[in-house]
Amino acid sequence: MVLLETSDEWQRQSSLLLQARPTTARITVKYNVPNLQSPKVQKAIKRKGDAEGGKKDVAAAPAVPKAVLCLKTYDPESGVCLQFKTDRAAEVGRLITGLGRLGRHMAALPQKTEDAVMEDVAAVESTAVQDQAATTTTDKAQPGASGAGGGGKKKKKAKK
Amino acid sequence: MAKAHLTHDQFFTQLSALLTATHSSGHGSIHLSQKRLTFDTTSSSGPTTDKIPDDPLWDLHPPEPLPILVRATDGKSTKGEKRIKNPDKVKLSTVVKPDEIEAFFARYAEVCKAGMAGLKKRDRSKRKKGKGKKGAVGGEGGTKA
Repeated sequence: MVLLETSDEWQRQSSLLLQARPTTARITVKYNVPNLQSPKVQKAIKRKGDAEGGKKDVAAAPAVPKAVLCLKTYDPESGVCLQFKTDRAAEVGRLITGLGRLGRHMAALPQKTEDAVMEDVAAVESTAVQDQAATTTTDKAQPGASGAGGGGKKKKKAKK
Repeated sequence: MAKAHLTHDQFFTQLSALLTATHSSGHGSIHLSQKRLTFDTTSSSGPTTDKIPDDPLWDLHPPEPLPILVRATDGKSTKGEKRIKNPDKVKLSTVVKPDEIEAFFARYAEVCKAGMAGLKKRDRSKRKKGKGKKGAVGGEGGTKA
């Protein structure tokens, strides 16, 4: 069980794991709102209060339970488990979009989404620019643009 | 899984209901999972992608893209002191076809963003303090989740 520090790192490692084991690996997301009455949570709050010393009264009574989001990528065949925890609402959207990107690995779709869009935009932009200058250079610009996009993709190519 | 897979619309409606229910009850968990669907949903004959003994990497290059199975549960498998099976466990599942992935996850993100209200809101107070008077007004609004 590896607890990763950043969501980017989790995303990267998970994508590598899914590329290696697309059939067996699964992603689970747990959204937990802790029960403030449960002994376990009470104990944790108390311990935290003790550690902080004099600030006990401030830490001991959070009126609203603080929810936690825990993401895991687990592959039962190799036993690899990549974990990431967060309590920030701002990250939810990005993380779920990331799940979609990882879902593409599961579905065995080529990894392109954003890259392809970027390529298209780059290609269109370069075409527009080149059109003003000369039409002959356009043909050169397009492979150049898509080549740059392919470079940005890194290690994804090895799969096929 | 006794129940059939839901359509995306049903899945999202019930998922947001589940998220709301968790918040109104004050505590609880929601488990979401996603995995490759290698079983044929139309027939009960078994896996469609059979392991090929000669190729240990048989699953790395399937002939065509596979659907994804997305599940959501409230994790309440048992109830009571005796830990008997809970018949009211919420179990939602849906199948996302390869060409629907983008649309599905865009909506999924929206539902989760809206439903996971217990998480910490973006803390703007610290950053705005340095910027001057405006920070005091913006900070008050942004601090408390």
